[in-house]
Amino acid sequence: MEQKTTHFGFKTVNETEKQQKVGEVFHSVALKYDVMNDVMSAGVHRVWKRFAVDTSGIKAGDKVLDIAGGSGDLSKLFSQKVGINGQVILTDINASMLAVGRDRMIDAGLSVPAAQCNAEQLPFADNSFDCVIVAFGLRNMTHKDIALKEMQRVLKVGGRLLVLEFSKVWQPLEKIYDAYSFKLLPFMGKLIAKDAQSYEYLAESIRMHPDQETLKKMMLDAGFGKADYYNLTAGMVALHKGYKL
Amino acid sequence: MLNSLATRFLQHLTNQNNWSREHLLPFAGKVVQFEIAFIKTNLLILEDGSLSIAGETDAPEASIHLPPSLALRIIAGDESAKKQIKIDGDAHFAAELGKVLQHMRWDAEEDLSKVIGDIAANKSVAGSKKILAEAKKQSVNLAEMLAEFWQEEKPILAKKRHVAQFNTDVDTLKSDVARLEKRLGKLTKKHQESHVN
Repeated sequence: MEQKTTHFGFKTVNETEKQQKVGEVFHSVALKYDVMNDVMSAGVHRVWKRFAVDTSGIKAGDKVLDIAGGSGDLSKLFSQKVGINGQVILTDINASMLAVGRDRMIDAGLSVPAAQCNAEQLPFADNSFDCVIVAFGLRNMTHKDIALKEMQRVLKVGGRLLVLEFSKVWQPLEKIYDAYSFKLLPFMGKLIAKDAQSYEYLAESIRMHPDQETLKKMMLDAGFGKADYYNLTAGMVALHKGYKL
Repeated sequence: MLNSLATRFLQHLTNQNNWSREHLLPFAGKVVQFEIAFIKTNLLILEDGSLSIAGETDAPEASIHLPPSLALRIIAGDESAKKQIKIDGDAHFAAELGKVLQHMRWDAEEDLSKVIGDIAANKSVAGSKKILAEAKKQSVNLAEMLAEFWQEEKPILAKKRHVAQFNTDVDTLKSDVARLEKRLGKLTKKHQESHVN
């Protein structure tokens, strides 16, 4: 029987192989993940994440699911918003990344449960959350359509899905952005995280990720009643917001 | 970056004016467009009753058109100008949002006090308010002076009573013409009948 294939950066790999390869990338960068994020984006990733939280409409007492939450930046911000009567659950498929996030939550004195799980098979009941967020994680999922349907399933009616992800940059900036992504990024990865290959994958996976309009359509196809997006930093990153109606 | 900053400020403003949430909550998910001169900005009501900049493809449910002249009058405190704001679409939503925005106040003193301390913040804000009030007074004086000059010395602008008189004259002329038309009609009819007989 012929194996189904998918992309891993610019390479074509078997579907079963992709998850393992993505896992290896994140095992490798887990400890330097935050430092690299700050270096690569000159700290702007904090502004993007803050914007996602600001536009979530989350209030005290709400329940939030942070998918591919990694080092827990967003879980921390959401915890402050939902207060002691609300709940944030931090999840990631990668044990190394989740361990970093879980430890950070404990160090910050926050009670945030951490669960290792696959976004394509979420271990939560239907209609459980007011908001689901996935920041810089959807790109690495093998079946994005299935993952989006799962996120829609666990949302309450009226709940929102926020997808913060790299996207299609404003056309006049494409050449500079390409030079930065394919030349400077692997170099910085080699220098700081001692891993150029993982950052090559990062640049390639960004190019393979659906653009703003395509992702919006994918969200509507997954069952969201309404979807919209914000371009951030000239479209380098987009925040998609889908409503379960 | 501008979106992020604007949304941050709007959220901060909502937090300082917590009363506004209950007025805006019934409209959660709705978008309003503000059109001031050539600038268009879409605002979205969030599910917690706060405000944010709307997304790229969100269609507005209501539009508020504010020409620059009207905006200046509102800033100068002209209450009658508020009645002239043009609203399209969901008028109830736009009117409610307009009312909330009018009553929202940015407590700059509170924010500044966290940086420079209470006393310095109080003095700075009081000083700024004085300067602003003086600037507003001076601009209203200047506008009045220019209006008077263009009406009396070098008439470019028409006076209100002259416009009213002109309108009355036009109305009188219109009814005179209508009467004349009727008379002419009657005369023509009479003339045609005498020819037939």
